[in-house]
Amino acid sequence: MDIGSLGGNLLGIIPLGDIILYLTPLHLFMLIVILLFTFLIAVSRTETQVEASFEGLKDNKSTVGIAEFKARRFLAIVCGIATAGAMITGDLFNFILFVALTGIVNIGIVSAVKQIDVLNAAFQYGLIAMMASLPLFGGGAIILAATGTLSFFELANIASNPMILFGSILLLIGVAGETGIAPFFATKAEMFRTPGSPFILIIHLSSLFMIIRAIEILLLILT
Amino acid sequence: MDLGEFWNKLANPDRIPRVFSLILGLFLLIGLFVPFSLNNEQLYPRPAPQEQMFAGDSIAPYDRGGEILETPGITVAQYPQYSKKIGMINSYMSPIAYNIKKNSPYFGTSIYSSPGGLIDEILYYTRGFDTILESTILMMAFVIASWLALNFTMRNKNKKDD
Repeated sequence: MDIGSLGGNLLGIIPLGDIILYLTPLHLFMLIVILLFTFLIAVSRTETQVEASFEGLKDNKSTVGIAEFKARRFLAIVCGIATAGAMITGDLFNFILFVALTGIVNIGIVSAVKQIDVLNAAFQYGLIAMMASLPLFGGGAIILAATGTLSFFELANIASNPMILFGSILLLIGVAGETGIAPFFATKAEMFRTPGSPFILIIHLSSLFMIIRAIEILLLILT
Repeated sequence: MDLGEFWNKLANPDRIPRVFSLILGLFLLIGLFVPFSLNNEQLYPRPAPQEQMFAGDSIAPYDRGGEILETPGITVAQYPQYSKKIGMINSYMSPIAYNIKKNSPYFGTSIYSSPGGLIDEILYYTRGFDTILESTILMMAFVIASWLALNFTMRNKNKKDD
């Protein structure tokens, strides 16, 4: 499928050697939205969760300490920028690297919390993210072997064959594992049960954007 | 077992990696029946295996030819218009590497795998952005690991001492 028919007219490219970032109205919109959210998250403060306790009048307040706050804010900003980069990239391997970066930063955002259940879920998610790097990079390698190129502008003109289809589905499994979409969402849902909502939010948002972009890329490659 | 029960079982984080690896394994088995063939018009070509060895090249099997800043060697770019100086420095060798190359025909792999022995233009020029991203992934992994080590492992140890 032509690049223009999915995202709208090509507005411009940013060439970095062989890796070309390109902008169409859809990608520009997604880029601006994710950068806006990253900015909002960077300037916001965390909330305090209040847990009512039995056998007494005291409430438990679970707050985020300053060191934890700083580490999580830094990783959340990196996550936002990585997602923004994946929105406009025009190179398959570049996209795969952005997804891998988002995956590892997502684990980092929750690795700083104190709740044991949340850490447990983050550990399970980390296992999936590690396993998902095999289909993620393997799918990219199979597509490269079958077509001889990684640029979307070239891939869009190459007709599909069973090998490209296999590589694409492998890539989709990799993205699904790395971003934690259904049916692998349980680990991510458990990870959200901790104070620090703005940073938790970017995990969710980056997954959504990555999946939209991954589907667009698969359509580019396959049709 | 009805579907709701299945979804409930899937909601346990401990089971998710197993389900994921099962799906992945089953799908990889399908790969055995998919016809695989290498497209020979690759973007990043390599000479035929052993060709440079048999020719007696002292930096085989990675010789890319060319002369520094004079004639370009073999590096192919997808978009040559965006990397105009391509191939110009991929025959650069540090003085030590150059002397080893002059004196012995057996150290091609060692020269190119040692720091400073290799200027890979695919890594640093045509696909330089990927290299930046790869090191960013590594750096983030180190940031997370060192933060955890400093704030959990070491501090917990201090607490026990008190």
